[in-house]
Amino acid sequence: MLGALLYLRLTSARNWAKSRLRRLRQPKYLVGAIVGCAYFYFFFFRHLGRQPTRRLPDGAVLDATHAALPTEWLPVTTALGAVGFLILLALIWLVPSQRAALGFTEAEIAFLFPAPITRRALIHFRLLSSQLRSLVGAAVMMLFSNRWAVLGGNAVTHAIGWWFIFSSLNLHFSGASFTLTRLADLGWSVWRRRLLVFAAFATVVAVSIHRLPPEAAASESHAPGDLRAITAWVVTLAETAPLAWLLVPVHAVLGPFLAIDTRHFLLALGPALGVVILHYLWVVRSAVAFEDSAIAQAQQRSARLAAWREGRSRRTATTRSRRDPFALAATGRPELAFLWKNLLSTWPYFRLRVFLVAAAILTAGCVWLHRQPTAAPFLAGVGVLAVSLGAYLLILGPQFARQDIRSDLGHADVLRVYPLRGWQIILGELLTPVCILTAVVWLTLLVGALCFWPSTTSAPWLSLPVRVTASLGLALITPALVALQLLVPNAAALLFPAWFQATRSRGGGPEVVGQRMIFVFAQIVAMALALLPAAALAAVIIAVGQWLWGTAVAVGFASVGTLVLLVGEVGGGVWFLGTRFERLDLSAEPPPSA
Amino acid sequence: MIEVQGLTKRYGDFPAVRELSFAVRPGEVLGLVGPNGAGKTSTLRCLAGIIPASDGTIRIAGHELAIDPVSAKRALAFFPDEPRLFEYLTVRQHLNFVARIYGVRDHETIARPLLEEFEILDKADQLPGELSRGMKQKLAIACGLLHQPQVLFFDEPLTGLDPLGIRRMKNSIIRRARAGATIVLSSHLLHLLEEVCTHVLILKKGEKIADGTLAEVAQRFSNGESGVNLEEIFLRATGGSED
Repeated sequence: MLGALLYLRLTSARNWAKSRLRRLRQPKYLVGAIVGCAYFYFFFFRHLGRQPTRRLPDGAVLDATHAALPTEWLPVTTALGAVGFLILLALIWLVPSQRAALGFTEAEIAFLFPAPITRRALIHFRLLSSQLRSLVGAAVMMLFSNRWAVLGGNAVTHAIGWWFIFSSLNLHFSGASFTLTRLADLGWSVWRRRLLVFAAFATVVAVSIHRLPPEAAASESHAPGDLRAITAWVVTLAETAPLAWLLVPVHAVLGPFLAIDTRHFLLALGPALGVVILHYLWVVRSAVAFEDSAIAQAQQRSARLAAWREGRSRRTATTRSRRDPFALAATGRPELAFLWKNLLSTWPYFRLRVFLVAAAILTAGCVWLHRQPTAAPFLAGVGVLAVSLGAYLLILGPQFARQDIRSDLGHADVLRVYPLRGWQIILGELLTPVCILTAVVWLTLLVGALCFWPSTTSAPWLSLPVRVTASLGLALITPALVALQLLVPNAAALLFPAWFQATRSRGGGPEVVGQRMIFVFAQIVAMALALLPAAALAAVIIAVGQWLWGTAVAVGFASVGTLVLLVGEVGGGVWFLGTRFERLDLSAEPPPSA
Repeated sequence: MIEVQGLTKRYGDFPAVRELSFAVRPGEVLGLVGPNGAGKTSTLRCLAGIIPASDGTIRIAGHELAIDPVSAKRALAFFPDEPRLFEYLTVRQHLNFVARIYGVRDHETIARPLLEEFEILDKADQLPGELSRGMKQKLAIACGLLHQPQVLFFDEPLTGLDPLGIRRMKNSIIRRARAGATIVLSSHLLHLLEEVCTHVLILKKGEKIADGTLAEVAQRFSNGESGVNLEEIFLRATGGSED
């Protein structure tokens, strides 16, 4: 039976690889693959043959020519890694509230559950699947860790080390979920179990701290801000029983990965393998009925996947209904209906009321900071941080705020039946992300304007009138800037729907990475080109206007001029995308069903 | 009123619909039948303005779809086989949204009887995720009927409905046709077409094999026999296979 399951897994993997290779015939995948492969080569594979900069020999002094971490950091890394690993394991016991499900897909459930296969064989099938994932994960992580100079070993030992880490985590997760399900069947409530597990971990840590050698306790208490003292304390704690006993299997699993050379690696293999085998036996022997929860989990996962593929959020259809963001009258501009609809699709705090409250709180906070003598040195920093955040949101916001045509492409056939021109649909769809991003950027501008208060000696030209005019001017052009930014990914979705859909395909691969990189690059270039005329106009108005009317007035005129130009660009873009939407052949992607 | 002249739909080089011409008058129900891949859904989607026709003209309620799509769409409603709903809008919010799109002033007075007719009034504040497949279908139909369209396109309208829902749907189609609506429906359920349709159009490989009233089409393929049902007609017209 396991042979059949292995056949299914391997054949699926082979066909997946074949289909990936076959689709390289399409330029969109081929170009993406070339860019993606180039990225992987230059950032990872190029370094594979080289040894990372070695750690310094004992007694050597770390200088600028040795970009490696010193040898004495290894125990710290090991201790921190082991503690981190232990915390992860603790979470595996604390967090779950569902019954064991093992993560079968709907297809696997449809074919395997009614088949004459024992439960144990099904578990083996899942373990086999997770092993394949662990291998891929190990290969990917090796590309990163191979460049970490603090580690010893080489690419092979890193890859095998990662495999031990992933495998044991995977097995531990399965074993723990079976055990937790058994406890639940025995009448243990979720919170009772959490409380006991937490208490057990806390007791182990508390007893270990209590048993710490006096010198370690002293170093911790006498040097609260010293990082070295803290790390030394963590190392000593990790070596103190009973925490040290709990960390024995963790150290065993981490051993191959942290081995400094081949000899240490070979020595570490045995204990690591032992832990993995013990985990395997635990999983197989503790198996419980998982079919019901597997079906429920598979349905949830496929709903999430479908939503993700359609560009929707991860929220599933089980989300609670929401109150209307505003009263939608039956008549009026139909574009507002899209704003109303898309606001319903997003977080409920994207509302005017919340924005006003946030603005009031931020204003009060900034005024309070101004009145604190000790806070004065930080004000400029806060201001710069706020403006930087605003700029970041302006550039990357459209990647997060996707409540526009990108999210509704799955409903394009429904939208096409509406008695609206294409530009109306595009404009309506753009309104929600424009409103959301504008509101957030306005808040950052508000904080920036209130905090960023350079002295008249450092920037004499930045007078109060100029600052106020500049802030208001930026606020004025923000909606147009945001709309322009949003037009680029929306244009990509409409002009290259095949590319857009491809970037939403799952499973990664160099071609998908490459496609995403091309999209980001195209967005930056398109925005630069779109902003060039507006920036040039603003520069000319300010350059000429400051002699005629003074800087503040010139900045005001420049803002208005920029706004007019940007609105013109946005209008043209919306109209163009509208015509594209009207002509969008929905039958081209996906293939015709009729 | 639907007037179709020389409708052609190509996917690349593949012709899904070829030179299709027909007309459906108010009060008539045209059944679109054909084997899988005959071009039924492509035809319906072209008629509803969802996908552009490669060639030919389509007039809906006097408006040419290619020239004045907004006026044409204001008069029509399309009901896909799979209800396409916005997962985060409740039943009531769906109707609210559609009312604004179509500018239906007194939508609440229209919506209530619709919800009652489709027995989803008590689900008004629920999200699509909380509805059964049949309920979702009913909501999609209620949304489509809200603006009281003159022309209705149904793609497999009975999919997912329970027996009572099927009966109500059939009655609803017949009642609307009697009230003067122009209806085109595509279905593989030939008994539905026999009960509901006044006319039938048989497609095969994108081409019209036959059209006319049920009696006319039956006569053409009956070979002199009497009492030949639509299933037999369909099999004879299409050669009994998808090829």
